[in-house]
Amino acid sequence: MKKVIESYIFLLPFFLIFIVFLAFPVFYALWLSLHKVQDFYDVFGSLKFVGFLNYINLLKDYRFWWSLLITLYYSLLTIPVGISFSLLLASFLTSKLKGYNFFRTLYFLPYILDVFVVGIVWTLLYSSPYGIITRLLSNINLNIGGLLSNPKTALPSVAFAMVLKNAGFGMVLFLATMQNISPSLYEAAMIDGANPFQRFRYITIPSLKPVILFLFITGFIGTLSSFAEFFSMTGGGPGIVIGGKTLYSTETTGLYLYRRFESLDLGYAASISFVLLLITMAYSIFASRFMRERL
Amino acid sequence: MKRFLLYIILTIFGLIVIFPFLWMLYTSFKPEHKALSLTISFRDFTIENFVKIIRNYSFGRYFLNSLIVSTLSGFFATLFAALAAYPLARKSFFLKRELTFLFLSSMMIPGLMYMIPQYVIVSKLGWINTYKGLIIPHLANVFGMFLLMQYYKTLPDAIFEAAQIDGASDLRIFLRIVIPLSLPVLLTCFLLTFQFHWNNFLWQLIVTTDEKMYTVPVGLAMFRSAHEEMFALKMAASTLSIIPISILFIVAQRYFIEGITSGAVKG
Repeated sequence: MKKVIESYIFLLPFFLIFIVFLAFPVFYALWLSLHKVQDFYDVFGSLKFVGFLNYINLLKDYRFWWSLLITLYYSLLTIPVGISFSLLLASFLTSKLKGYNFFRTLYFLPYILDVFVVGIVWTLLYSSPYGIITRLLSNINLNIGGLLSNPKTALPSVAFAMVLKNAGFGMVLFLATMQNISPSLYEAAMIDGANPFQRFRYITIPSLKPVILFLFITGFIGTLSSFAEFFSMTGGGPGIVIGGKTLYSTETTGLYLYRRFESLDLGYAASISFVLLLITMAYSIFASRFMRERL
Repeated sequence: MKRFLLYIILTIFGLIVIFPFLWMLYTSFKPEHKALSLTISFRDFTIENFVKIIRNYSFGRYFLNSLIVSTLSGFFATLFAALAAYPLARKSFFLKRELTFLFLSSMMIPGLMYMIPQYVIVSKLGWINTYKGLIIPHLANVFGMFLLMQYYKTLPDAIFEAAQIDGASDLRIFLRIVIPLSLPVLLTCFLLTFQFHWNNFLWQLIVTTDEKMYTVPVGLAMFRSAHEEMFALKMAASTLSIIPISILFIVAQRYFIEGITSGAVKG
């Protein structure tokens, strides 16, 4: 009996923090989402129960729907390209090469840096009219101006920066998995006369399938939470007018959530985060089913 | 010849990936009026930007805050994770499976979900603008706990049986056997937590309103909105902010990469 109690004592610090700051907040967010701040000078004291009003307003909020579209567009831009670039890096690095560690460190380094800071660096490169990328583009007669201040190029430019930043993560996963592929498979294929491309296509790629799926799943959940890259590089802008309504061409749901939080609309912000949670859960269930069927 | 070509390709990739940071470093050593000049010249290199950043702005203070928050969080999160991982991996007790499942399922929740409720909780506790508010909400590192738990499961039973026959208490076993045997994994857990907090921009942004409590990224954000056009200074501040974490990574990259891959590939 004493032994059992000891186990609980060991668990206690972790468990307490987990309950207060990770488990309880999920229910608390739900509770908050059913309330509305009445008085902005007394935010917490003036929360009033409003039932599903926040959710009803959310359904009618074009800015919210737009932000979901932007988030989806962002994930479509980053995930496939990001995975391909990671795979490209890993496929060139896989051979037993002198300098393997050096290159792996080099490619991986940006991944561990702060998204916000990396965004600041990129705003310099993209800045108009003197940023180096802006000027390189105008040298080849692509006078787009500030890539981040053009509604058409702003989101792809952020996506490009983030693909380069995060490529090391996927690469490292690919490398770890590639090391586990039995060399005899390649030997057999070589005896059968398969060229390097065929070996890559028919041996390497199939073995990497679980990693590719993993990157798709976590990548999407990651973009649902994307905030800092846009806060840092575009602030949600530039604005565009569609059907008489001003919309923000890079305002993802994460950024919109922050904007509502900033204006102290806590109940409404909580309802957005709860919808994000529901989307994530639905997607995770779908994705894990899909994985189980495919693997 | 083939090998040479491979190195060229790898170097080009390396340059593409690392170029923004080289350019940041280069710009940070240039005088402000030449910050945007594209002519590469090292003639008027100056450390004036760095001096200004530290002397005229409180980046020293922000650094200290980031260091305190990241180190304390790393230490306690790792300690709590190890304490929880040991019984979950090696003991049997009532509700063990349910607890493990509960912890595991929380990893599915997007981080952004927590912003609002955690902020309200921390405000109600009066922890805005305190180290407590920056640190305590993130002390349950579920990912690190699972990393340690997986490792503790692989330890041979014989060690624990021998210790139990000798009548050693759980605390003694933990301190004398579990901790020393898992130092590399503990280090991985510490480093990943440290890195998480060094980069935990959004939380630090909303929990600190007093300049004395700003961390490096928050300080950088405030600096940026006040000096939109001072590129050289911004780059100097950015350079300073990524130096510690880059050095830590380069020195201990094995632990970082092992932690990140083992968590993902097994999970």
